Amino acid sequence: MSDRLPATCCAVVLTLCAPLAGQIPQLRARADSLLVEWQLAKQFADLQDSLRLGRERAGRDTIRAGALTYLVNRSPLPLAQAASIAWPQVERFYGPAAQAFAQRPFLIQAVDPDTNEDVPPGRAIKILWNTEVAPLARALVAMADLGPLDPGLRDWLGGVVVPRFDSGPGHAVVYVQLVTAPSLAARRCYRDDRAACRDALSLSAMTDPASQWYGPAERRALVVQQYADFLRRSGHGQTVRSCEQGSDGSCLELLRSLRNLIPPLDYQARLTFLETAVRVGGAETFQRFLATPAGTIGSRLAAAARVSQDSLVERWRNDVLAARPTPVPLPVLGAWVALGWIVVFGTCGLRSSRWRVS
Amino acid sequence: MFRVVLYGQWKWSRIVVILGTVAGFALPILSVQGASSDPTSAMKAGELLSVIQSWGVLYPVLAAAIGLLVAIATWAPDHRGRHVLALSLPLPRWRYVLLRFAAGLVLLVPTMLGVLAGAVLASATATLPPGLETYPVALAVRFALALGVAYAVFFAISAGTTRTAGIILGIIGAVIVVQVVASAAGIELDLTNPVQAVVMNWPGPLAIFTGRWMLIDV
Repeated sequence: MSDRLPATCCAVVLTLCAPLAGQIPQLRARADSLLVEWQLAKQFADLQDSLRLGRERAGRDTIRAGALTYLVNRSPLPLAQAASIAWPQVERFYGPAAQAFAQRPFLIQAVDPDTNEDVPPGRAIKILWNTEVAPLARALVAMADLGPLDPGLRDWLGGVVVPRFDSGPGHAVVYVQLVTAPSLAARRCYRDDRAACRDALSLSAMTDPASQWYGPAERRALVVQQYADFLRRSGHGQTVRSCEQGSDGSCLELLRSLRNLIPPLDYQARLTFLETAVRVGGAETFQRFLATPAGTIGSRLAAAARVSQDSLVERWRNDVLAARPTPVPLPVLGAWVALGWIVVFGTCGLRSSRWRVS
Repeated sequence: MFRVVLYGQWKWSRIVVILGTVAGFALPILSVQGASSDPTSAMKAGELLSVIQSWGVLYPVLAAAIGLLVAIATWAPDHRGRHVLALSLPLPRWRYVLLRFAAGLVLLVPTMLGVLAGAVLASATATLPPGLETYPVALAVRFALALGVAYAVFFAISAGTTRTAGIILGIIGAVIVVQVVASAAGIELDLTNPVQAVVMNWPGPLAIFTGRWMLIDV
């Protein structure tokens, strides 16, 4: 009986599939026609996009500062002044790679701040035309993102590349993260463990982020506090309970099943690392980085900066530790100012109208 | 003369001073209860800072409350006695008020020392995660200044007449009413935010009360 079973199954399958076999040419023809329809639809969509873009670009002034090119509608927006401030910063950060902006004009729609009219839709970046030069220059620098040229960098960073070197406040934020992040890797990094810094920043290949970033207690806390609802809804209720009861294996299993695990150090930390690499490697660092697309982010950045990965990590850590934020927010003159107010209010008491003879 | 005035004020405000000192001493110690020396129950750095920040709200509240109560206690007997004692003394008015003010400030010292002692003790007993530090002296100095400012403000108000207090409250009320009417009429007029910025930001009189009050920080 058991010898006959496979043969019987094959016979059943062939019998069922026989009518379909005859339909294969027809199905293929239908699939081909769908492909043609899709290609046609895509052409129409591209044409529509192109026409929309052309309409948006029409009648705009072109403002250039270095390789930065802006297409902007006529308005009092001080774009030329701001662009002339932004370009040196952008060029200092990206070096020769900044010339890529010549092929990527920015479309800007200066918007009247005093109108209630709807802003026309489109790809243009909307900016109020009464924006002052300094904040506008900062915005232009923040817009100058060459991250899309390197998908690996963009994925690792998790945000735009902001070409700035003045991220003192950013380093201070990272300092607080290093100290307070509920992560074993971050704490070890703070204590000068460079391998832990590499893990915390995801500079090397992350084979098992759940164990590389977090200790057992942190894994349990992550599952219970961050992911429990999601995991229960996705059918992991029993494993979640086991993790809650202290099974680290269950916690690990759950965290490994997640596609995106919360990293201990966020975008800001990675951006400061990139900044350190560019500062160490000089103006051509970014160009060299784009020219070597193979390898982990850490090795690529170190090679582009022309130092070892350990040296780069050490330099970044020193920068972060040097930016420790001021703990007690009492300005230097704050004590004198407070004493001054005590005297002022005390004098007001002396001048009381209570005993004044009217 | 000062000793007599001080003794009188001590009698009137001793309960406030004693309770304030106890509260000031206990507050820092209670705030670090999570920073246990037992590593299995000790809080992580982030959680600990969050708890410390929550307790930190109580320092300016305590400073304002003690300043208010001591200032009221300073003037209450004079107001009740219709200032007969003050008028019968062979002293110029400004000197009498100065004595009252100085005596009140002296009575704030135990509370200031209570906070300093509590903060030092809490810092010595807490086991901190790496990267965190204690700031007992900075916190105590800030508390002392806030207490002094609160006392001076309420002393000045309390020294005035009901009419003066009415005028001050009237001005504050007028600002709020104008703001509400302007908002209702669709007029772009922002009075409260500039006034708030002047009062609450450095070098405003109440700036000492704002910001984070952290015994433990990075």
